[in-house]
Amino acid sequence: MGHVAAQTSPAAASTVESRSINDWLMRMHEASRKRSYIGTFVVSSGGAMSSAKIWHVCEGDQQMERVETLTGAPRSIFRHNDQVVTFMPDHKVVRTEKRESLGMFPQLLQSTDGRIADYYKVKQEGTDRVAGVEADVVLLVPKDSMRFGYRVWTEQKKGLVVKLQTLDTDGKVLEQAAFSELQLDAPVKMDKLLQMMGKVEGYRVEKPVLVKTSASAEGWVLKAPVAGFKPMSCYKRPVTANPGPGEEPLQWIFSDGLASVSIFVEPFDRQRHERESSLSMGATQTITRQLDAYWVTVMGEVPMATLKLFANGLERKK
Amino acid sequence: MKPSMQTSELISALADGQLGGEDFAAALHASRHDDSAVQCWDTYHLIGDALRSPHGARGADPVFLNRLNRRLAQEAAHGSAPLSAQPAVQEPPAPLTSHPGQAANDGEFRWKLVAGFASIAAVSAIAWNAAGLLAPAAAPQLAQAPALQQQVVVVASPQGPVVRDARLEELLAAHKQLGGTSALQEPSGFLRNATFETPRNAGR
Repeated sequence: MGHVAAQTSPAAASTVESRSINDWLMRMHEASRKRSYIGTFVVSSGGAMSSAKIWHVCEGDQQMERVETLTGAPRSIFRHNDQVVTFMPDHKVVRTEKRESLGMFPQLLQSTDGRIADYYKVKQEGTDRVAGVEADVVLLVPKDSMRFGYRVWTEQKKGLVVKLQTLDTDGKVLEQAAFSELQLDAPVKMDKLLQMMGKVEGYRVEKPVLVKTSASAEGWVLKAPVAGFKPMSCYKRPVTANPGPGEEPLQWIFSDGLASVSIFVEPFDRQRHERESSLSMGATQTITRQLDAYWVTVMGEVPMATLKLFANGLERKK
Repeated sequence: MKPSMQTSELISALADGQLGGEDFAAALHASRHDDSAVQCWDTYHLIGDALRSPHGARGADPVFLNRLNRRLAQEAAHGSAPLSAQPAVQEPPAPLTSHPGQAANDGEFRWKLVAGFASIAAVSAIAWNAAGLLAPAAAPQLAQAPALQQQVVVVASPQGPVVRDARLEELLAAHKQLGGTSALQEPSGFLRNATFETPRNAGR
């Protein structure tokens, strides 16, 4: 990758050059908490393309987002801080949930062990224009082959992320997300969005039943930790239809600060679980394994080899 | 009769509206007299529809899915069994006018039908049986086709079309909802997942 510092002015270059990976990530994070905008967001992954119209508004420490999908089934998704409400007009169903992961940053940066900077380094790649906005191009390079890299386009003035690529270990683009159109500091009204978010008349309200637990309490351990990945949370999650007798599927979530991995464990069922397999879809990789009386699915935005470490490391507590 | 491979290429070209004159006549002849050609035609369009449709193949003909499952079972059992070795389920070819629009193999989805069968057989290793775990929306369809053991969804991937199922969709949705523990999550990860999970999770 060429290091193109010449495109920025000397003064700007010095601030840009001296930013650490944490500075960059913090700046991107802050920008998303301070700017209001309206835009069209396009995600291209695994040969499929999706897009959505986005409204984003910040008032004080309150954040609100409205996402209207433009492709696939019609969905309206509202996010108010960590509360997420998804309207599915074709099913007349609305799903409400709390996404704790949305609140975990910036603790991810501040925790003393397993810091992002231990596993990724940052490299500035010059500047570019995305959706009419001047952006710094920043490469987040993994220090080992156990995670993917990211190329981030971050708006020059405040740092809003306007484009993001996930790169495989050879630097090939696995997935890309970008604004195709962006109106910064647009007049978006939070109370109006809140009103829309609360309009559930005529809809059946669904709340996914999630039981917070710990892997240890459920009898599972990872005998060898996977470098950089820390356990974040663990849930029992009943299946949507016909929950089978016995145990509910377990979801154990790990993160290295940028990439995340889910381990799903459910009772082995000869009828459904025929073959161990692996599947690659854009940035998301999946493998399945039989482990004694259990069926394990490991899924994450990491190389297949990393998923195998998780699968091989999982065992029943003695 | 022409060898099966040649017939399927003809049908493939026919489905894309690329044939004229003698080839066109030959393809029509094949579609009347060669069971495997009729199957090719159906398969080709189903996969094309699945690739173009955000809903996957869920609205697809259960008879076809049934046949696809049997074919997959056979492939697993016999390795490279020829296509025409299959006892055909007799069905009239779909009328030509019912499939307007873009070619099934445009852009990066360019592939040949024979190669397509090979890749479906290969990816059958990753198709999971999902009977009993289907989303409610898919249940009525299942009731109409009790023999259908697998909810097969054909989706596009860089490796070509792959077969996925409702259970995998559920896990993927769960991973995207709860697994987004990333410093990139708040700036853009949420938008990525919100934009992205909808077409994949269309049946919920």
